[in-house]
Amino acid sequence: MTPKVTVNIDGANIKTARGSSVLDAALEHGTCIPHLCRVPYIESIGACRLCIVEHVVNGWSKVTTSCTLLVQEGMVILSNTEKIRKLRRNVAELLVSQAPNSRAIQDIAVRCGVKEVRYPFRNSECVLCGRCVQLCPGTFGVKAIGFVGRGKDRRVESPFDIRSELCNECGSCTDLCPMTVVPCDGPMKTGEEYLCRNCESKMAFAEEQGICISCDFGEGFQCERSPQNF
Amino acid sequence: MTKINTVKDLKALRKRLLKERKKIRATLVLCGGTGCQASRCQDVTDAVKNELAKQGLKRSVCVRTTGCHGFCEQGPLMVIEPGNIFYCHILPDDAHEIVTKTILDGEVVERLLYTDPVSGKLIQTESEIPFYRAQDRYLLAQNRQVDPCSIEDYIAIGGYSAFTKALFEIPPESVVREIKDSGLRGRGGGGFPTGRKWAECQKAPGDEKYVICNADEGDPGAYMDRCLLEGNPHLVLEGMMIGAWAIGAQQGYVYVRNEYPLAVKHARMAVDQARKIGLLSDKILGSSFSFDIDIARGGGSFVCGESTALMASLEGKVGEPRPKDVHTVVDGLWHKPTTLNNVETWANVPSIILNGSSWFASKGSKGSKGTKILALTGHIKNTGLVEVAMDTTINTVVFDIGGGGSNGNSIKAVQTGGPSGGCLPADKFDLPVDFDVLAKAGSMVGSGGMVVMDQETCMVDVAKYFLTFLQDESCGKCVPCRMGIDRMLEIITDITEGNGTSWQIGLLEELGSTVSQTALCGLGKTAANPVLSTLRYFRDEYEAHIHAKKCPAGVCQALVTYKVDAEKCTCCGICKRGCPHGAIVGKKKQVHAINLDLCQKCGICKSECDFEAIQVK
Repeated sequence: MTPKVTVNIDGANIKTARGSSVLDAALEHGTCIPHLCRVPYIESIGACRLCIVEHVVNGWSKVTTSCTLLVQEGMVILSNTEKIRKLRRNVAELLVSQAPNSRAIQDIAVRCGVKEVRYPFRNSECVLCGRCVQLCPGTFGVKAIGFVGRGKDRRVESPFDIRSELCNECGSCTDLCPMTVVPCDGPMKTGEEYLCRNCESKMAFAEEQGICISCDFGEGFQCERSPQNF
Repeated sequence: MTKINTVKDLKALRKRLLKERKKIRATLVLCGGTGCQASRCQDVTDAVKNELAKQGLKRSVCVRTTGCHGFCEQGPLMVIEPGNIFYCHILPDDAHEIVTKTILDGEVVERLLYTDPVSGKLIQTESEIPFYRAQDRYLLAQNRQVDPCSIEDYIAIGGYSAFTKALFEIPPESVVREIKDSGLRGRGGGGFPTGRKWAECQKAPGDEKYVICNADEGDPGAYMDRCLLEGNPHLVLEGMMIGAWAIGAQQGYVYVRNEYPLAVKHARMAVDQARKIGLLSDKILGSSFSFDIDIARGGGSFVCGESTALMASLEGKVGEPRPKDVHTVVDGLWHKPTTLNNVETWANVPSIILNGSSWFASKGSKGSKGTKILALTGHIKNTGLVEVAMDTTINTVVFDIGGGGSNGNSIKAVQTGGPSGGCLPADKFDLPVDFDVLAKAGSMVGSGGMVVMDQETCMVDVAKYFLTFLQDESCGKCVPCRMGIDRMLEIITDITEGNGTSWQIGLLEELGSTVSQTALCGLGKTAANPVLSTLRYFRDEYEAHIHAKKCPAGVCQALVTYKVDAEKCTCCGICKRGCPHGAIVGKKKQVHAINLDLCQKCGICKSECDFEAIQVK
């Protein structure tokens, strides 16, 4: 049996296996910390920055991603403070303004309390969460796709933009992609994007953002806590 | 080059070199830094060497091409020892006069001396020049004493004696304690206490450890690391050897950007020489310590200056940062404990070991010890590399050393710390160059870039420039940095084009603070600094762009119009001939006017006009 450590997340003492991440521990315990780029059972890269939490050390709190932070005995974590909710909302707003045409991203925006989008919508086909790349070359070691370019030119592509012979057509990349399921009201045309907010009323505690209990929002991209996985 | 096997050998070699040097009648020290190379110092060196050969002085007069002397504005530079006579703006044709007059007759060639722009007096020696006088040059002063391609030069001035002292007289724990006591902080940007870093790495479990020298300097306008690595590579290597001995590393890497070809060449040469002479080998000088250094070239990515991205690049992976929840001193290069320091930090180490921590701690302020090299650029009279104690005020740097604004313009702000730093207005110039003080003021010492800006600079445009730079250089891995910078740039572009709205200022502030709190690496965490600091000190300029639709400095093209001042116009017609768009109308002896429909706001007319008759409003 793996040794257990006790961590304190939002006031609750949680016993969890040594070596697991704070996000895993929180999800296991039933505290949902919004996340996007994390794929279960794969080492996290901390790219989407949605799962940020406050890690309190000696009275000082440090904002860090819970998916990359490994549990340690006696650790104190705050996942739902005013500060974190605001930061998370701003990050989610950036995401949804970039890719409004995804149910998963729209769900995350609602869950993080985004009420309005203050940037012009862009309707990208990819939010560069890196879930596909983490799995295909990252875990399977099949270099059929990967990141190309940097900064605003970053994109996911097959080598030399040609469909690779290495691809086994396993379909894992599309399974993990948050862009595969369109919003409930159907696809949005360029220039007509909006923040959907349909399911805001379904939130467990509508007034308290960032909390979702048995929600069915995350189906689009196999959210850890979507009903299928429950 | 004979191999040295013991400390005794090294001392004997130093003695022999010094004895040989006593025979030399004079030394011509020529700056061969990149700045002076751009002003064709190589031709001057060749001419001087030819002249010496012609006059039969080849053996008794030594010509030493060294690294940067700092005063790049006045290049090519030459210092003649003994006497420390300082010549500037030398041309190849001057070689004959220098050799016959100064070397043979002991006279000074007055027309090559530096003229003090304030008093108009000729100045003969380097130490009297105001640019050098207000500085506290320790690291940079060594540049002048050594030929970077010669390990003998370095050994002759006492080089590698700090390393041998550490290796045979000071145990690793005491080396770390000495560095801790000195108060040395990382010179690359963050200002992390070096001693603490070393102590953690020393304690970290594992036999295999690494030291890395970060020479991936990429800030626009900054070149202090380049100058040190080009000018005195052995000093950096010696620092790394002491660090490796302290933490117990067997291998070191110098990660230098490929855009610095001279630095790459000199660093490689230095490593080869140190290997040949026996200072980088198995069981160095008969001790139990083995260490080697390799040179790795960067592939042109700014973000690879970030420690984890640099390590990924060294490992042969894509140069992207990774989360640092476990520090690199425990889990670094190839998951082994790694100490990574900046070039300047390593270069400070030998002198601390040699002179003691209290000597180092005697300079600087309470929280920031020692000296810092700054790259002084921008709208200033004396651009160049400057080394000052860390309690020197910005006023001293900008006005006493830098000589104030070029063209007599008044200075509006200074941008410190490169793209990650911030802009400080002139009324904050009484602040010292201190890590904590500048951070509190919304800027940072950073790697030491200092860009001075005069009244003709638009601060919104400056923020836009740095955001464009960061947008290109962001790796794009994390959302806040990739999308946040992109959106901030979008908003600022709106503002500079006259499409800004007042609520966008609040949005910029909120977004900036989100990016700085949530981004993955140091680049992202500091990316909003140019925006946040200009918003803090120059909010009125943002507001003028948004409400009055005017650019006060007359920089943002969409918000300015060009006009001819009828009173000043002498009807010479130069502007009309210069205008590539045919937008200027007016006949001879008739005041000219600009057709705004055709005007492309290129500014050529303004630069052509000798009477300041073209106004930008």
